[in-house]
Order: sequence, then C-alpha cells, then structure tokens
Amino acid sequence: MKKLFFVALAMSLMLGSVYAAEPPKIGLMGPMTGSWASEGQEMKQVADLLAEELNAKGGLLGQQVVVVSEDDGGDPRTAALAAQRLATQGVVAVVGTYGSSVCEAAQNIYDEAKIIQIANGSTAIRLSEKGLKYFFRTCPRDDEQAKVGAQTIEKLGFKKVAVLHDNTTYAKGLADEAKALLEGKAGIEIVFFEAITPGERDYSAILTKLKSANPDVVFFTGYYPEAGLLLRQKKEMNWNVPFMGGDATNNPDLVKIAGKDAAAGFYFLSAPLPKDLPSEEAKQFLEAFSKKYGNPPNSIYAVLAGDGFRVITHAIAQTGSTDPDKLADYLHNEIKDFPGLTGKISFNEKGDRDGEVYRVYEVNEEGQFILMP
Amino acid sequence: MEQFFQQLTNGLAVGGIYALIALGYTMVYGVLKLINFAHGDLFTIGAYLGLTLLTSMALTDHLGPFAGVLVLAVMVMGLVGLVGALLDRLAYRPLRESPRLSAVVSALGASIFLQNTVMLIYGARFQVYPQNILPKSAIYLFGLYIPLVRILILIASIVMMSALYFFIQKTKVGTAIRAAAIDQGAARLMGIDVNRVILMVFLLGPALGGVAGLMVGLYYGQINFTMGWVYGLKAFTAAILGGIGNIPGAMVGGLLLGVIEAMGAAYLSIAWKDAIAFCVLILILILRPTGLLGERVAEKV
Repeated sequence: MKKLFFVALAMSLMLGSVYAAEPPKIGLMGPMTGSWASEGQEMKQVADLLAEELNAKGGLLGQQVVVVSEDDGGDPRTAALAAQRLATQGVVAVVGTYGSSVCEAAQNIYDEAKIIQIANGSTAIRLSEKGLKYFFRTCPRDDEQAKVGAQTIEKLGFKKVAVLHDNTTYAKGLADEAKALLEGKAGIEIVFFEAITPGERDYSAILTKLKSANPDVVFFTGYYPEAGLLLRQKKEMNWNVPFMGGDATNNPDLVKIAGKDAAAGFYFLSAPLPKDLPSEEAKQFLEAFSKKYGNPPNSIYAVLAGDGFRVITHAIAQTGSTDPDKLADYLHNEIKDFPGLTGKISFNEKGDRDGEVYRVYEVNEEGQFILMP
Repeated sequence: MEQFFQQLTNGLAVGGIYALIALGYTMVYGVLKLINFAHGDLFTIGAYLGLTLLTSMALTDHLGPFAGVLVLAVMVMGLVGLVGALLDRLAYRPLRESPRLSAVVSALGASIFLQNTVMLIYGARFQVYPQNILPKSAIYLFGLYIPLVRILILIASIVMMSALYFFIQKTKVGTAIRAAAIDQGAARLMGIDVNRVILMVFLLGPALGGVAGLMVGLYYGQINFTMGWVYGLKAFTAAILGGIGNIPGAMVGGLLLGVIEAMGAAYLSIAWKDAIAFCVLILILILRPTGLLGERVAEKV
C-alpha cells in the first residue's frame, strides 16, 4: 500500500511538472553597467513597469510573466556571455539591446538557441541583412537615418560637410551611409571624414584639426557622451560651426555635459522623443512611468524596448504559444499596425520595423529638444 | 606652424594629467614591484569626491574660485590618499608574502570593486561638475588660443610633480622610500619600517591620482564611473614610456605621451592616434628596454 502511494506520488509529480507550464520568461539584455548604463537601467525600469501592468491584468497564458534581465555592459564580450546565460534560462524572447556592436555579438547565440530577439537601439544596417529568422527590432535602420540626415544637410544649405564617427558598428555604418548619400548630391562636398576614440575626455586635438578643414557643418554619428564633450570644447575654442548628431546623441545628458550655451543650436536625428509621442498608449505609459519612478523616461530607446516587450507579449497572447517558429511567423506576417508606444508597428521580412520614423530635433537656448517642422 | 603649436599646447595639457596619474603607478611599482591596476579607479574616486565636496560645501562661493579650488584639492588629496592607504591595508598587505601574481589579481579585483562601488553610490549616469567654477578666459597669442585653465592644469601638475620629486630626493622619508625601492630586506635591516614606507607610497600616489581626477572634472566637466579605465591605461603607458619605477620618467613619459597623441591626431590620423602612440612606445622599448629614463623593467605582468 505504502509502495503504491509512493508510485502514485512520483507519477503525479512527474505529470505535474509536465502539465504545469513554466511561467513565460522574457529576457531583457541591456547595458546596466558601462558607459551606456543609464540607457540599460531605464530599459529595465520600462520592462519592469510593463510586466507589472501585464501581470495586474492577468498575465500571459494564465501565468505571471517574469522578466529576466542580464547586463551586457555595453561590451560585445560581456554581451556574448549574457546571451548564453539568458539562453540557458529558458526565456521565450529577449528584448534588447542598445548598441549595435553589442547586439551583433549576441545575435547568433539567440538564433541558434531559437530565441526571438527584439532589439531596441541597435540600428546598424547589417544586423538584419544576415537572414536571421528570429531577429526583430523596434528601432529603425541607419540607412533611413542617413537618408534623413543627408536631406536635412541639403535643406539647411550646408555645402562643406565634415563627418566624424567613433568606429563602433553603429557610428561607422551611419557615417559611411551618410557619406555615400552626400557625395551623390550636387554642390555638397565631404571635407573631412575621420573617427574619434570614445571614452576619452579631451577632444581638442581633433577639434583643432577639424577646424582647419573649415566645414560648414559637422555630422557626428557617435554617442551622446562624446557629442557633449565635443560641443563643450568647440564652444571653448570660440568656434561656431553647427553640429549635427545621429540618434545616439539623443539623451538629455548631452545638454548636461555640454552645458546649455554650448548645446544650443545642435541638431540631431531621432525617432520622436517620449514627450512628442502622439498616441493614447504613450500618454498612459508616460503617466504610469512618471508615477512609479518620479520622472518621465529620458531615452527613446527605453521606450522602444517597452515596445519590444509589448509586441512579443501580444504575439504570445495571440498565438497562445511560446513556440519560437510560430511567434516569428506571427511577427513577420500577421502583426499589422500594432498600436505601439512609438507609433504603429509592423515588421518586414527581414525583421525590420516598417515605416518612416526619423525626425530632426534642435536644441534650444534652454537646452530643450525641439521637434523641427 | 600655428597648428603645430596649438596641438603642442593641447598635448601638454592632456599629458600633464597623464603624468600625475602615472606617478602613482610608478611609485607603487618602484617599491612593491606591483602594478596597481586599481589606480585608475582612485582617480575616478577623486573626481567624484571633488564633485560631492564642491556641490555640498560651496567652497568656491565662500573663498573665491582659486582659493576654493585649492582647499578642495587638498581635501580631495587627503581623502583619496586615505582610500589608497585602506586599499593597501585590505587588498595588498595580506598578500605581501605571496607570489607577485596574487597581488596583481588582487589589484584587478580591487579595480572592479572600486569601479562598481562608485557606480552604486553615484549611479551609472554621467555626472557633471557645475560650470563656471573657474574663469573661462583664454589667451590669444600669435593666433594661438590657449584656455587659462589648461595653463593652470599644466602648472599645477608640474608644481606637484616637482614637490614630489624634492620630497623623495631631499627628505628623510623620501630617502626611506628610495631605500625600500632598492632593497626591502636591506632597508628593514637599516631600521626602516617598510610597511610604513609602503603606506606612505599608497598615501602619496593615490593623492596625486585623486587630484588629477578633480582637475579632469573641473576642466572637462563630464565624469562617469568608467573614466578611470582610459586614463589609467594611458598613465600606465606613460609610466612604462618614461621607465616604470622612475619618478622623473613618469613626468616625462606623461607629457610626451600627450604630445605624441596630439601630433599623431594632427598629422597622421585621428582614428589611429592611440595606435601611433603605442607604436612609439614599442619603438622606444626596443631601443631602450628600460624606458626613456628607467633603470629597471617590469619582469612580469
């Protein structure tokens, strides 16, 4: 009798573990430390908030969603390890990451493990040109960004253009793309094309050299910490050339680093900022975020990570499955004009987001980011 | 020609900072034969402590910009010196009799620990020094433009380095430090308390690194917890260039590295300026394996 009881117990335990599906886990990979740590930590805040909201509404497939976050340190080597850790923890999908070179190091690991990846800030073109079935992104691509950048430079009437990047996958890709487009435009000449070393403090040697090339505008395709320093040191040199940045300069810390008077007049390309998002979903989200954390989100990439989270949880709910092939198929083909926080979301066959997203912003005298018409 | 002199001043200002940090590497190496990888993070701590003291005590409002910054510098030096001494006590002293590699691993660990401590205390976002603490005026001379603060940074670095040099050469404590650097066992036999000498080294080196952090904060404005890595690497290179273990060598190496970088960026390629600087380092090490002014060479690590 006793023996029978144990057999029954063992069987029920075994069956139990088969039928009680694990709670769906969504991975979040972002730079929680390193020089982009402010981006990653905000990504986590957004994902936590959205998971909380979703769980309050009953969760996913009758279970509570769990967000598993891993730190990629903004560094490709750390990212590969983070991706392996996430892959072994049985996540259905991973949201992230921010930097393109970091993303690139993790892509194949997710693809081999059949885990859906939805990048939020990795805009380099070649990431989606590899034919990876499980790779998606909510941010736009750099070829579109370069197109908008070149158009803006032409529209503002600049003739001699200097292009400066920082040799990261993203910045170099954007710089190359912009250079090719600008060279095709009549009357526009590239007078300077070089890379700086990110993470340094003193760029006066570079600025001195840049000044002797005498450009009408400098297009800097790197990230905001360096952009802020460049603006500050340029101001100190009393050099009034306008600067234009790519979407990685879009961060309020840029103005803090440069100082308001040095940042004024800086143009940058970006997906619309959180405050300029028109949709009802975005307004509700911003309110909830401010309520929970005391300030609105600083970075659009954190909000784009939120969109990644919402899209994948929507897909899981709609398909009623956590099978990566079904989910990838749903995201590629079924989802159309999903009401995202940053506008309507559909994915093309490469996993890129459809539609034009980029806008041009200018920093005003008060250091605010003003959407240019 | 104008550009040459402009780049020379750019390079000297950067090099002055490298030199100050390099002194910390070279002093510790001279006495302990240990490369203190946590030194770059002590530099970061200096920058952050400077910011905290500056904003919380409003020294520059009470004392005027120059006296205020001077008092601030002394406070930062004292505090970072204490952190350095504590680091020695906790991370290095227990390993004094162990193989040298253990201490190096401990140094790497201490570096990661300090960096993440700064991140946990101050947060991961960039911190910014208040602007307009120091006057923004610049000197225009023969078409050159030189911000006043740059000249001050260079002068302050040279003054501090000279003070250190005389301290090491002319005072009794300095003699003890030099004696311990040559032979710890013999120094002990001569009645020198080697542990106190090492403590002294860990007070002085980090104090100079910390004040370099303060200078970077005051001048460049933007600081974050990873800033010690790049500066630490460059200063380490500068120390090797000048001859590690040699104090004038660190000064020469630092200034030279700053100038090589600026000239490399100006006349060859901006993207390759670090590569150019390292090529020069390799060339110098091939021709003079002990560095420019060095007597000894790192045997391991």
